[in-house]
Amino acid sequence: MANLIIFLVLLVLGYVFGQMAERRHFKSIIERERQYKHIMCFNERTLPPQTISPEVALVAGNVVISIDYFKRIVAGLNNIFGGRVAAYESLIERARREAILRMKAEAETLGGQSIFNVKLETASIYKGSGQQVGSVEVYAYGTTLIKRT
Amino acid sequence: MGYENRDIPEGINVSETHPLKEFAWLAAGLIILVVFSVVALSLAAEHLTRYIPFSVEQKATASLSKRYTDEHPLSQQQLQVQNYLQTLANALVIHQGLDDNMTIKIHYVDDDTINAFATLGGHIVVFKGLLQMMPHENALSMVMAHEIAHIKHRDPIVSLGRGLTVYLALTSIAGVGNNSAFEDVLGQTGLLTMMSFSREQESAADREAMLTLKRYYGHLNGAAALFEMLEHEKDEPNLPSFFNTHPLTDKRIKAIKGFASSFRAEGDTTVKALPDFLRQSL
Repeated sequence: MANLIIFLVLLVLGYVFGQMAERRHFKSIIERERQYKHIMCFNERTLPPQTISPEVALVAGNVVISIDYFKRIVAGLNNIFGGRVAAYESLIERARREAILRMKAEAETLGGQSIFNVKLETASIYKGSGQQVGSVEVYAYGTTLIKRT
Repeated sequence: MGYENRDIPEGINVSETHPLKEFAWLAAGLIILVVFSVVALSLAAEHLTRYIPFSVEQKATASLSKRYTDEHPLSQQQLQVQNYLQTLANALVIHQGLDDNMTIKIHYVDDDTINAFATLGGHIVVFKGLLQMMPHENALSMVMAHEIAHIKHRDPIVSLGRGLTVYLALTSIAGVGNNSAFEDVLGQTGLLTMMSFSREQESAADREAMLTLKRYYGHLNGAAALFEMLEHEKDEPNLPSFFNTHPLTDKRIKAIKGFASSFRAEGDTTVKALPDFLRQSL
């Protein structure tokens, strides 16, 4: 019985705080995406032919986002019944966009105007069975082009 | 440059479902799945475990029982009590009509716990605490006949089979989820059901015990005595463990009274006192 109460309390806490954090995070992501709109990202490996040898630098941004208890339970249920794991979709989306934003922020401090050859790496931080702390890391990196002055 | 980053519409990578709604659907589905599989599996297990021969049960518990008796030797006096209980049990066994291959072994435990239970392999454990409460032999016989009836009905092995099956099923569902929280919640409910007799099993054992007492004494006087005493003590905070899992005492008394009035008592209808040595050694 005590375990059930702990479970329900964790579930409610996970839901309330998880949803709050997610809403706040999305709001900030959308805002900053507008702010860094002038730094464009491409996954092309070669530069446009007309580019006159710019200065280049490696820029990267990474983020680790943890799942909340509610999401983990819902995903656990998804594991039994199958289907889209909607609880994780928004999590991964947040991580991807945040990582790109941090990469763009670095590019801006270097005075870059665009980032080429953008790649995303992802890793899950997972303590395995038992005490599970599931987090996802997304690492974005690319080459920023800085106009020579 | 001719290059551009177009605005990506919001929400294209995320499913538009309310998380609570999804959770409700999934949880309801899981509950239905669990309830259905537990009911189906326990019915199947109950049915199948009856095919395990009693001799297998005996063989499996023999070494455990021997080790226990070796580790907990009884004094001369306690041995006398155990022998008395064994003799009473043997008489009741004859009147209950157990299969020939079924043997009952009584274990007396010098402990204040108010309890008696039947377990695998025909072993019945009686605690001193329960004996101390006994007003007379008839009340004791009722409890003994009840425990013997559990053995006759194969209740211990059936309960264990049912409990283990349900436990395995629940842990394997939890294993699919691979989630410790599920394991906690599901695993515990499984453990609770392991090795406890159902209300139906208890009622059946009571009926069997009443029939046995009718054959043994010719009447049911005093059979309900212990339950009446427990009923009086119900207001006290610590409920004796003996009747936690048993049918409501009130209902049991009524059932015994009802059965007793359904036939005419024969022979000597006075209750038999417990032997003096037993009183002294408790």
